[in-house]
Amino acid sequence: MKDKITYLTDVALITCIVTAGRGDAVIQAAQTMGAAGALVYHARGIGPRERLGLLGIAVEAEKDVVNVLVATDYQDVVFEAIYRAAELNRPGAGMAYITPIERMATFVPREILERVTGPGGQS
Amino acid sequence: MKDSVRYGDYLRAIGAGRRELSANAILPPARRDVNGRPLPPPAPPPIRLHPDEIAGLLRPYVSVRFMDQFRAVVPLALYLALFQILILRQLVDDSWLITAGLFAVILGLMFFMEGLKLGLMPFGELIGHTLPRKSSLPLVLLITLLLGIGVTFAEPAIGALQAAGRNVSPELAPYLWLLLNEWTGALVLVIGASVGLAAVLGTLRFLHGWSLKPLIYASLVPVLGLTLYGAGDPELAKVMGLAWDAGAVTTGPVTVPLVLSLGIGIAAAAGRGDSGLSGFGIVTLASLFPIIGVLLLAFYVAGTVTPTEILAIAAMAGTDMGALAWYERSPGVELILGLRAILPLVLFLFIILKFVLKEELPRPREIWLGIALTLIGMCLFNLGLTYGLSALGASAGSLVPAAFMAVPDAEGSPLYLYGVGLTLALVFAWVLGFGATIAEPALNALGVTAEQLTNGFFKKRTLILAVSVGVACGIALGVTKLIFDLPLVWLIVPPYLLATLLTLVSSEEFVNVAWDSAGVTTGPITVPLVLAMGLGFGNATQAVEGFGILCLASIGPIISVLLTGLWARLRAGLQERTDRRDPSTQPALDVQSPL
Repeated sequence: MKDKITYLTDVALITCIVTAGRGDAVIQAAQTMGAAGALVYHARGIGPRERLGLLGIAVEAEKDVVNVLVATDYQDVVFEAIYRAAELNRPGAGMAYITPIERMATFVPREILERVTGPGGQS
Repeated sequence: MKDSVRYGDYLRAIGAGRRELSANAILPPARRDVNGRPLPPPAPPPIRLHPDEIAGLLRPYVSVRFMDQFRAVVPLALYLALFQILILRQLVDDSWLITAGLFAVILGLMFFMEGLKLGLMPFGELIGHTLPRKSSLPLVLLITLLLGIGVTFAEPAIGALQAAGRNVSPELAPYLWLLLNEWTGALVLVIGASVGLAAVLGTLRFLHGWSLKPLIYASLVPVLGLTLYGAGDPELAKVMGLAWDAGAVTTGPVTVPLVLSLGIGIAAAAGRGDSGLSGFGIVTLASLFPIIGVLLLAFYVAGTVTPTEILAIAAMAGTDMGALAWYERSPGVELILGLRAILPLVLFLFIILKFVLKEELPRPREIWLGIALTLIGMCLFNLGLTYGLSALGASAGSLVPAAFMAVPDAEGSPLYLYGVGLTLALVFAWVLGFGATIAEPALNALGVTAEQLTNGFFKKRTLILAVSVGVACGIALGVTKLIFDLPLVWLIVPPYLLATLLTLVSSEEFVNVAWDSAGVTTGPITVPLVLAMGLGFGNATQAVEGFGILCLASIGPIISVLLTGLWARLRAGLQERTDRRDPSTQPALDVQSPL
């Protein structure tokens, strides 16, 4: 069948929340470790800023949220790279988490499909 | 036994430096009441950090802000110092003191900007949002006027203007000396009132959606008229530079955001917030009105005091110099100036909040910390201004003329042939203007706005480049004025007439961006540096006064941006015309291509 949907399984979503403007560093780290792409959006974070008292001024409320989809084989390396690049071991730097993805679908180049599943895409 | 291991599992298995911890373990256990229903957990206690964790929290916060100011100050300072050492072959006097001063400027600006963001800005925004809903329009406009005066006192660059007055000689320019030394209070008040008036008019413009063009024409007529009138009097002509520079000085990092936040708040309350152009215009008017104000003040002074009386006052002031109280001497006076700049503004905002709006401060501790930071920053900045920026600018200004003429302080001057030296001095001024402008953070913000406003038609880079070239040409022209002692009127009036003409044929968006770019370029680093350099230059070349460079630096970008806008529109028009002529061939291609 011509338009058979190819589901990709074994995918993980890594989300990293950092101070606005530092998202680019996170994306770069993720890409050098094999992430295909990233999605960034802007958000406001609430929580530690209020509980830190006056020190809270050092925590920006404006955040970049970086979403990266990776194959599960890569999730730990990418996650670690992101953790290091965003310096998440510092207070107030942000957080990152991994969400398992049940399945995803997107365009996969035919050349790659044929290489993986044999000619004709039959598996 | 498995014969293959997934790479991911392998990585997870060998991963060192990881450990897993249940999130439940770091939170208090969930409680339930007798019926088994969950109870809300107690309010989380404040987070306590160890000193090293606090250091980790503050390090990036401080370093980002420090580097922002560092990048703005150091290249310029290095350029000035290297030019002196390499081209003029003179050592920078008191280099350690100047370095310490520049460091104080960087720290001061860092504290000041952060304090502004944490303290004064939320204050201003709160008032801007709530005031129009709770009070009548006349009261709102009155408060806007008073706020305009308050922010002018708080503007760091105004201090530079006052500092510059110490170098003016009472014999050569009596009125200028009087205004800058004995009448400083009145001078700043007049400038402040003009800014306030501009804010009121700008707010009315928001509310009624007036076009900026007629406002520009209407304010240019008295500006140019008074200038031409004053130019007829040889004594008054010397005040002209100050008056025009005052306009450029006012629109700095305190005035622009505070007045804008109030104006936008008022416009939003009236339901006219988002025209895209609403933010513009106030800056333009705030840089034109002070010229009128200062000129009128100068005329008033000239009408009441004669030059001989001024000389008597100056002689008396000279004898007093011996015994100055601590608060009138160098380290003390800067601190007092800093306090005097910020405290009245804070008090004014606080009184409005408490008694007119009857509101409480949100996050009061943060806002008070911000105000304290603003105070510390202002005092540090003032100190650094005296010992760092002004000293560096003055020394560069007094030494650059050594390139082409004999200057007593510089050995072996003139260093170069007259023509070569003159070219060097002008190139120096041009590059200084270009470098100072292209690094100005406010310009970047304007560029982004302009790009959005014109739907990407006017690129950010184009705008920054156009403004920088305009400022550079303006500063070079200003230096030419000082070298040849040209009357400022003939340098100022024709460009403004040209700008008026260009305004007439340009579209509303470009007019807004262009006139505002003039005010935006003159920030807290450029102003003192250029002012001090101009005065030093003026002293070395025996010009009567060293003002006027700044105002030429603000007309430059107006013209260059308007011209760029016209050129871009012309090019777009030509493109459209060729596109319209082309269609005869276009369909033919479409038919052929599938074949």
